[in-house]
Amino acid sequence: MDALADPPVDAVIVGAGAAGAAVAWRLAKAGLSVSVLDRGPWLNQQEAANSRDDWEWVMCTDHHPDPGIRKAQADYPVTADDTPIRPAYYAGIGGSTLHWGAHFPRFHPSDFKTYSLDGVGRDWPIDYWDLEPYYDLNDQIMGVSGLAGDPANPTRASRAMPPVPLCAGTHRLAEAADRLGWHWWPSDSAINLDQDGQGRACCNQCGPCGMGCPRHARASTDITYWPLAVEAGVTVRPEATVGRIETDDDGRARSVLWRDRDGAWHRQLADLIVLAANGMGTPRLMLHSTSAAHPDGIGNRSDQVGRHLMHHPTALVSGVFGESLGPPAGPFACALYSQEFYETDRPDRDAMRGYQMQAIRGQGPLGTALGGYVTRLDWGRDHHRQFENSFQHTVSLTVTTEDLPEPENRVDLDNRAEDAAGVPAARLTYRVSENSQRLLNHGIERTTGWLREAGAVETKVTALSRQAGFHFLGTVAMGEDPDRFVVDPTGRVRDCPGLAVVDGSVFPSAGGVNPTSTLQANALRLADLLAGQTPLPRGRAEARDATI
Amino acid sequence: MSTDRLTIVLDRLLPGDPGAGWPAAGALGLADKARDMAAERGDADRLAGILAALPADFDDASEADQIAGLKALESDRSDDFDLLILYAYGVYYTDPRVRDVVEARTGYPNRPPQPEGYKLPPFDERLLDKVKERPPFWRRP
Repeated sequence: MDALADPPVDAVIVGAGAAGAAVAWRLAKAGLSVSVLDRGPWLNQQEAANSRDDWEWVMCTDHHPDPGIRKAQADYPVTADDTPIRPAYYAGIGGSTLHWGAHFPRFHPSDFKTYSLDGVGRDWPIDYWDLEPYYDLNDQIMGVSGLAGDPANPTRASRAMPPVPLCAGTHRLAEAADRLGWHWWPSDSAINLDQDGQGRACCNQCGPCGMGCPRHARASTDITYWPLAVEAGVTVRPEATVGRIETDDDGRARSVLWRDRDGAWHRQLADLIVLAANGMGTPRLMLHSTSAAHPDGIGNRSDQVGRHLMHHPTALVSGVFGESLGPPAGPFACALYSQEFYETDRPDRDAMRGYQMQAIRGQGPLGTALGGYVTRLDWGRDHHRQFENSFQHTVSLTVTTEDLPEPENRVDLDNRAEDAAGVPAARLTYRVSENSQRLLNHGIERTTGWLREAGAVETKVTALSRQAGFHFLGTVAMGEDPDRFVVDPTGRVRDCPGLAVVDGSVFPSAGGVNPTSTLQANALRLADLLAGQTPLPRGRAEARDATI
Repeated sequence: MSTDRLTIVLDRLLPGDPGAGWPAAGALGLADKARDMAAERGDADRLAGILAALPADFDDASEADQIAGLKALESDRSDDFDLLILYAYGVYYTDPRVRDVVEARTGYPNRPPQPEGYKLPPFDERLLDKVKERPPFWRRP
């Protein structure tokens, strides 16, 4: 195809979200010339709709995490007929960090070795302490509030800022956990609580972080990594829709063909092409980029690209209290969590691995009525009574389970629809596994008990949150065995020299916590390897923890 | 579809509670606004189709029969009914008159979350005294 020739670069990155930003900055700091393509635009969060009277309507529609509801121009089509979990992500410079709750836990050491420890899933080719220095580096750039000393996790460096405050509802949960003898700890949150936050204002507890933060208190890579990356020389091309990865006769990745906002095609030559389009977008591009050398898609000679899709199947239990808990103040997803049932070595359940329980604060009036992540209020004569009993009376707990990699759970292509660049829709095929279901059942029982202990007079169970498809992991996994893992431990695609993957696609396991801090730490580490740099020394805390 | 049918539907979905000060959605004259909101999202035809799927005599039926018709729609066409609820609850709970009632009944201020935000006391680390007594319990591979 004829296309405008962009100046060649050392590295071109597809995707400007959590991983793409970290990799772009790190590669540029290593001296590489870097260009970044993202189908979404730059957003001005200072114009976020949470300053508007209709903020809740915008949150339920144009800012909805589900692209099928949002209907934004930048979104690509997704076929989600054969999955109980709807996709949730965002296209823009910053990716889904533009839309997230900023809950920022780390994986546990056991999460990297599930097969060795428990005989399930897949081991990572690295361990926790390989990533620890990159976790710390990433924390510095994103800006993390919280508290060191959590007994459920390895020793870690002091947090830069204190934890986000508890509200009346989450305070009750903390006290109830103590009475139950259960673990709880304040969230690590990528939220600025510093009054002098290097250009980012202190969080003022407004609540709906997912709409964007006009104060820039909540971290997203458009205000953390990207300014640093641009300063280091990275060229960011927004509204750039990638059509395919082009390879030469020998099968080496040579260029990216992309379409600009005006419909003109460009060809970006690069020595290294890095995919960071998330665990759905990355395999979609690889499967579409067929050629004589890659007839089934890039890296797909063993039919592994797109398989082993892992989400975090999530249940949500809401506790309704008999008295008002006050306005829904505080970051909605960041308050406290419990990892009492996170590890496998608990004799009280019939499933492997575990789950995190995470407090979710209350919603606004429309969110309460529509439900969203909790049960919708009934219509009719009882509606207003239900509203008064629920609004400002509710706090919730998620059960975030560790999904195991199942080959039948996958991303592939649906040729019935395509985007502006001619790339077919991503098709999700997914079933909640028996193990995940057992974890969900266990977690629902435990969270219900926790909320009752906290004083809830009623509990409402969402057994599987339909809108919880916010993590796409494992679809182009990295590992040692070339027959099982598309990507080698350095992030390079085995069958395609010149191509690397750095996003959540490469996760061999999913853990039972939000993956972004691990995803970014791993992306930074892979960037060092891809740039030929020596990785940072293993974590200093290892020796200290060895005595535990 | 006529404004009258959507007004009736809004009144059945959100009938209000005069004793507590809650107005009925249809009586607030929100049908046109709901239609505009649907049109802005490309859902005008679908919303009209959903209303047209109600029984032909819906407008003149008794309140009980109208409720029965809506329950049948909810049961038979749940995705369509979800859309109807989205616009009904959406137009109602974003109306400033309703937000005034919310404020009067619950104390929740009728203003957006920003720029004012909310006040919460700082995290009190003494709450963790009991948890801190626990030895580390993560698994070492």
